[in-house]
Amino acid sequence: MKIRTGFSIRTKLLLVGMLLLLIPWMSYQYVREMKTYLLTGQEQALSLTSRAVATVLHDRPELFNEESQIDPSNLDDNEIYAAPLPNYINLNGDLSDWGEAAKQAEQFLPTPGEQPIASDNVIEVKHTLGYRGNFIYALFEVLDDHVLLRPKKFLRVDAADHIRLTLQDPGSSPKRYTLIAREPGRMSIYLMDQAWQYPISGEPNYDLAAELSLTDDGYNVELRIPRFMLSSDTRISMMVVDVDDPESRTIAATVPTTPQSENDELSKLLVESPRITKILKGLDRAETRIWVFNKDKRVRTVVGNLVTEVNDPEIDKPSNETGLDYVWQMVRYYYSSALQTIFTYIIEQPSSELADRSIEERNDKILQDALSGSISSDRRPSLDKQSTILMSAHPIFLGDGILGAVVVEQSTNQVLRQQRETLENVISVTLLVLITVATALLIFASRLTVRIRRLRNATETAIDRDGRIVHQRLNAEAKSGDEIGDLSRSVSNMLGRLSQYTSYLRGLPDTLAHEVSNPLNVVNSSLHNLSEEIPESANSKYMERAKNGLNRIGMILRNLTEAANLEQAMQSETRETVDLIELIENYVDGYSFSNPEQRFEVLIHSRPIMVEIAPDYIAQALDKLVDNAIDFAAPDTAIVFKLRRLDNFAQIDIINQGSRLPEGMAERIFEPLVSLGRKDAQKISLGMGLYIVKLIASFHGGDVIARNLLSSDGVIFSLSLPIHDPQSQSYAYQN
Amino acid sequence: MARKVAIVEDDFDQRENYRDALEKSGYLVDTYANRREALSGMRSNMPDLAILDIMLENEMDGGFDLCRDLRALSPTLPIIFLTARDTDIDRVSGLRLDAWDYLTKPLNMQYLSVRINSLFRIVDSLALGPETNQRNNAMVINDLEINEDSMSIRWKGKELSLTLTEFWLIESMARHPGHVKTYENMMTITRQSYVERNTINGYIRRIRNKFKEIDPNFKHIQTVFGVGYKWNTDG
Repeated sequence: MKIRTGFSIRTKLLLVGMLLLLIPWMSYQYVREMKTYLLTGQEQALSLTSRAVATVLHDRPELFNEESQIDPSNLDDNEIYAAPLPNYINLNGDLSDWGEAAKQAEQFLPTPGEQPIASDNVIEVKHTLGYRGNFIYALFEVLDDHVLLRPKKFLRVDAADHIRLTLQDPGSSPKRYTLIAREPGRMSIYLMDQAWQYPISGEPNYDLAAELSLTDDGYNVELRIPRFMLSSDTRISMMVVDVDDPESRTIAATVPTTPQSENDELSKLLVESPRITKILKGLDRAETRIWVFNKDKRVRTVVGNLVTEVNDPEIDKPSNETGLDYVWQMVRYYYSSALQTIFTYIIEQPSSELADRSIEERNDKILQDALSGSISSDRRPSLDKQSTILMSAHPIFLGDGILGAVVVEQSTNQVLRQQRETLENVISVTLLVLITVATALLIFASRLTVRIRRLRNATETAIDRDGRIVHQRLNAEAKSGDEIGDLSRSVSNMLGRLSQYTSYLRGLPDTLAHEVSNPLNVVNSSLHNLSEEIPESANSKYMERAKNGLNRIGMILRNLTEAANLEQAMQSETRETVDLIELIENYVDGYSFSNPEQRFEVLIHSRPIMVEIAPDYIAQALDKLVDNAIDFAAPDTAIVFKLRRLDNFAQIDIINQGSRLPEGMAERIFEPLVSLGRKDAQKISLGMGLYIVKLIASFHGGDVIARNLLSSDGVIFSLSLPIHDPQSQSYAYQN
Repeated sequence: MARKVAIVEDDFDQRENYRDALEKSGYLVDTYANRREALSGMRSNMPDLAILDIMLENEMDGGFDLCRDLRALSPTLPIIFLTARDTDIDRVSGLRLDAWDYLTKPLNMQYLSVRINSLFRIVDSLALGPETNQRNNAMVINDLEINEDSMSIRWKGKELSLTLTEFWLIESMARHPGHVKTYENMMTITRQSYVERNTINGYIRRIRNKFKEIDPNFKHIQTVFGVGYKWNTDG
């Protein structure tokens, strides 16, 4: 009877352990909260910064005067000047929006580079530089006799006409960009290697934008550089590169459009008011960019740089490690890439709603607000979509009027980085804790399971199949100090009390018989003495009936005590090894001899079958079975004996035709005092007979079962006894 | 001169019934209700035969203890035990008490007289001495020697110590070697009130054990399953 519903303790504990997974979830929530909090803090700090900057600039209109504009004639050798442009420039090849600025374009000729310029090569560049709003614009009108565009499937990007742009912040390596086109229209812009031959990554740069359009005698390029790529200290150089031979595709000429200093220094680009810049320099903060606009939304100055990349520590796939190192590296690699995957899901990306804004609009709104006198802040995704840029704007007052506005921008990537690190730590720690706890739980649960199972097995074997108590004490877990030990001890207690009670119950018939036998003896001897004293009473029918009654009571007592006596008697019984077939044949012969009216059939499947038994008791068991069979057999039917070997058991089937066993009786029939009733009221049926058969079978290490015949009405009793194995030790009691 | 029988039985009704029955049979009867009384009574007034109930008042084995005490007083006193359980017989053997016979309750008064008679016959024949026994009524079957007078049996020259019932059973089987004595026959032979097959099996087992003490290879008593037992001359 095994009813196992649901999970084992082990599974349950592990499921409980799964609750640990709440830790990363909670930390994620916490980190999100923290992020919000940090961002709020950052926004407040930004708005303070913008206010501070604005405060510095209040009531200083001279800073915004046109006179303070840079005079292009006073430029140093390595300074170039971007003129303010009247309009925003549309990058479309139409030069009309450049207005006057296009007419003031400077002319540049090729400079002798590594290779001499062919005399028949026509190459000449007109170049203009200007700014509007948050952008620097450059125009290149190129006169070229062979316009050569980039061939398809050509990896190198220096094998066609192109433009080179170099930006360098002090203290960091220069960034080289190549502008190149396969066809008129938007150009591809790549960050280049040192030799200007290959892009560092295949990804084009989208912060920069350039448009190429063909003309009758060459081509035009409009280039737009966002101001945030240039701090006040950023150096710049630009150069048009001419390639004419479609076969060799070698560089025919280079035309720099920025001053070429002797020591290869790049030029400084001046766009803003140097005085404001000087003031703001003191406020320059890492990863912060400060804009100052005049009330026409013209940029007066911009300082600082945004760092928008979230740098992930890149772990490469291991290649040259061996053994454990290799495994460790692999684990680390996969672990971190798994973490990356997780992060892309759980860390909020800048919302796309922000990303849809055009570049011009990015801080236009808050600038507008600031210029109309209110303080505001906003968020936008960075151009590379890696993080969010927080912006805060503050008006600059002149008396009651407005002089301009300060816009402070800062990327959130510091917060993001902190968020990532925290999460990463939490996840790693949680994983470690989870694994540790799970292992501990597993070990603990296994131990618990093993202990409980041991206790269960001990409990199950403490009582045999017939419900008799074999062990009164469980040894399993008896000495443990915990609840399982308690359980074991209470089961032992229970067994002890139960066995006391069962031994009382088992002794009850015996005690009863013993007690009854004395009064019975009184009646018996009194009757005897009565018949001696009054001789005529001896022949009275009542005397006869009284004696009959006494006999019946006597038989009942015998029956009651038989089982108990048998159990005690069997202990001292020695066994013999006999052929069961021969025994049964003799038995049937004998039985037929004493009951000639009863027919028997004996079916023997194999012979001999050697068993080690106490023959008297087996005969007694057979007596009970046969008596039983005869009682229930239909008239004039034979009792059938079937003998066969089943594995290590000899099986004796005793079959009678007749009534079937009632539902559920097949199991109970062997219990003491369970009787099916008899046809003959004079016959005593205490239901002890089959119980005795069971006792005898168990004593021999065998069993007896009853079931209804499948094919016809009738019952089959099967007595099985272990086959005698001459190799094995006799397991008879050694007294 | 009438023989004197002592009855030790704690139940008044039974005790008095035994007394009546035995007095009718011509014996003098002393009755005792418990071990203490019995021992002091018999010390001064030794009977010719004692019938002891095993359970005496609150002593489970009062009869056994009393038997030991009486044996100390008289090694030859014939003792009959009254038992309520078959298994007590095994216990008597186990305790090696020199009981001459035992009877299970409820008693059949006729059989009680018969048994007492037989025991006194044995006492008498023993008093005559062994040499007379050798000549009279000795029945010899192979190694088996049955003396009807002294109700003794020898196997291969060695005497078995048997109870009356055991003697009667061996004798009935050996009288017709090779003939099956059915359980029904044997039940009558035991001269007891209620006898089960198991009781018979128990007797045969004890008998075999007694033979085997003398001769470990003893196999002359053969079981005929489902019927009974027979004496095999070529066991």
